[in-house]
Amino acid sequence: MEPIIETKSLTKTFGSNGVAVRALRGIDLTVERGEFLALIGPSGSGKSTLMAILGCLDSPTSGSYAFDGERVDGLSGAELARIRNQKIGFVFQLYNLLPKASVLRNVELPMLYAGVPRKERRRRATELLERVGIPEKAKQLPATLSGGQRQRVAIARALANRPVMLLADEPTGALDSKTGHEVLELFTDLHRQGNTILIVTHDLAIASLAGRQVEIHDGRIAEPGEKVA
Amino acid sequence: MTLFSGAFRERLRNSWVEMRENPARSGLQALGVILGVASVLGGFSISDSQRRRADQLYVRLGGLDKLNVQPNPAVRDGRPTALQTANLGLRSQDAIDGTALDVKKVAGASVVKFARTRVRSAYGDQERQVWGIGGEYLATEGYEITQGRGFSSQDVASGAPVAILGTEAAKVFFPFGDAIGQTMRVGDVPVTVVGMLDERVFKFRKSGGNIFRWRNRIIAVPSTLVTRQFEGDAYQRLDRVTFKLHDVDAISAFSKTLSNLLKANHRQQEDFRLDDVAARVRKRQQERDAYDVIFALSGVLSILGGGIVNVNIQMASLKERVREVGVKMAIGAPGREIFKEFLTEALLVSGMGSAVGMLAGVAFSKIITSAIGIPLWMDAKSFLFAFVLATVFGFLFALYPAIKASRLSPMEALRYE
Ligand SMILES: Nc1ncnc2c1ncn2[C@@H]1O[C@H](COP(=O)(O)OP(=O)(O)O)[C@@H](O)[C@H]1O
Ligand SMILES: [Mg+2]
Repeated sequence: MEPIIETKSLTKTFGSNGVAVRALRGIDLTVERGEFLALIGPSGSGKSTLMAILGCLDSPTSGSYAFDGERVDGLSGAELARIRNQKIGFVFQLYNLLPKASVLRNVELPMLYAGVPRKERRRRATELLERVGIPEKAKQLPATLSGGQRQRVAIARALANRPVMLLADEPTGALDSKTGHEVLELFTDLHRQGNTILIVTHDLAIASLAGRQVEIHDGRIAEPGEKVA
Repeated sequence: MTLFSGAFRERLRNSWVEMRENPARSGLQALGVILGVASVLGGFSISDSQRRRADQLYVRLGGLDKLNVQPNPAVRDGRPTALQTANLGLRSQDAIDGTALDVKKVAGASVVKFARTRVRSAYGDQERQVWGIGGEYLATEGYEITQGRGFSSQDVASGAPVAILGTEAAKVFFPFGDAIGQTMRVGDVPVTVVGMLDERVFKFRKSGGNIFRWRNRIIAVPSTLVTRQFEGDAYQRLDRVTFKLHDVDAISAFSKTLSNLLKANHRQQEDFRLDDVAARVRKRQQERDAYDVIFALSGVLSILGGGIVNVNIQMASLKERVREVGVKMAIGAPGREIFKEFLTEALLVSGMGSAVGMLAGVAFSKIITSAIGIPLWMDAKSFLFAFVLATVFGFLFALYPAIKASRLSPMEALRYE
């Protein structure tokens, strides 16, 4: 079976005119199905940029990226949207929930864009909220929830269309360590159930829970054992 | 399961939910539409109500399809020539010839000759105006006989001493009723009352006076009686000849041929003038059309103003909006879906805005017309116009933000500051 992620010489350069920031300088990364991978590295090293590209939120400047057996570099915006919707669940550091929509509708939204009928959406969203442990919050607005609860909503939303991969960019970065660990337990549970998970973190304790750690440094993957200067 | 849920209803429902989630934003967006629709509808309704009232007035005056001929002084300065002296005035022959001119077009002609004289009965004695009438005068002026009879052609031909009274005249001269068959003196001529007319009432505004009041003062006798007994002369000059036509549109053509005929009859002296009721009405219509344009423009302007306010609101809530779009895109909404969402929302906002605007417009026109005191008349066309205007502008103003939003990249949108 082919790996779920396979990138070759992936680069990303921001700012075409004037100062160019080379956020990624050639990433070769392969992730197998069912892996739990932690992406670590100092701030500004390009972790978020890489995650955005891997999550089809952004396109690489050069290099190739095959996701789930399909070349996605160079796909149209609509095609990338379809992949994000159907195959990828993205969890952001600051949740990125719709502030005016209820918790339930936030979880339903990916299914709306997938064309899932209303009743089915409601049923599955309720089920997902149960799974992340906050079924009683369905009718509330995100602002009335604690950070940990909001991140649970975001995870429920990421799972809505049964993605083949979950990406989380510092999902515990805005949480205290206790809630952070609770949220992390959700990820380890999901991994045990067979999900592929990529997680960006500063916290080495969290990283140690992952099956593999990949360190990014200055837009490149640091070789195993290489000392970070 | 398709990515683009084709179901328009689903999108509509979603927009409805989002509108309710953002009541302030949607409310402000709708405000422009509400104001525009209300002002267009209000303006049109007030103008329509006035117009309709005026039309009702003309109908009550006996219709628009009338052409009046009145004497006109042919002598501008100096002393009249012998020809002019002999010629001055309108004669009953003019009415007869005019009718003969085009029997198919002319439905009837009426003549009137006024006289001021003393009128006496057992109960009253007043200096009054007396109407010497002939032809279909009562019908063309919109009178109805409620009691007794009208004048027969024989009455008019022979100048019979008979009279028909309006309600005011009847009240003055026969306060105890039962005027029919009684005798009164018009000048020195004893005349018998043969008919009674209906009361004429028309108030342009509810609180206003009866502008038909003087019409109830009518004391009508055959025109020949007046021309022979009171103000008569060899030519039997008249004060007015009125032609009633079958078709309003035929008036201008008829007035041309009639004018030629009368000129020939009057030895090329233009001592008469034709007045075209329809032309007068057309002029009024044009004035009102101008008002309609003004109202339509003011509506367009307020919708435009609303649109600009709307764009400002969108700018103010841009950060929130862009981030919202970013989130939706991140979870898989394609640009096309964002575009459709924006337009659907605009459709809903302008639809509901026009509904509210219509209610406001109706209330507004009701208040204004009842303040003026005329009945409210609203044309379905005004509603349609207001609705189309709101929808078109709603879409136009939504188009730019919709295109902008749909072209955002998800990362750009999520990082927007
Ligand atoms: N949209 C952008 N425009 C310009 N520079 C960017 C953009 N996104 C990231 N960068 C730059 O790219 C580098 C990597 O950023 P990022 O991937 O966010 O790092 P990390 O997530 O590891 O902290 C940084 O120098 C950052 O300033
Ligand atoms: Mg980052």
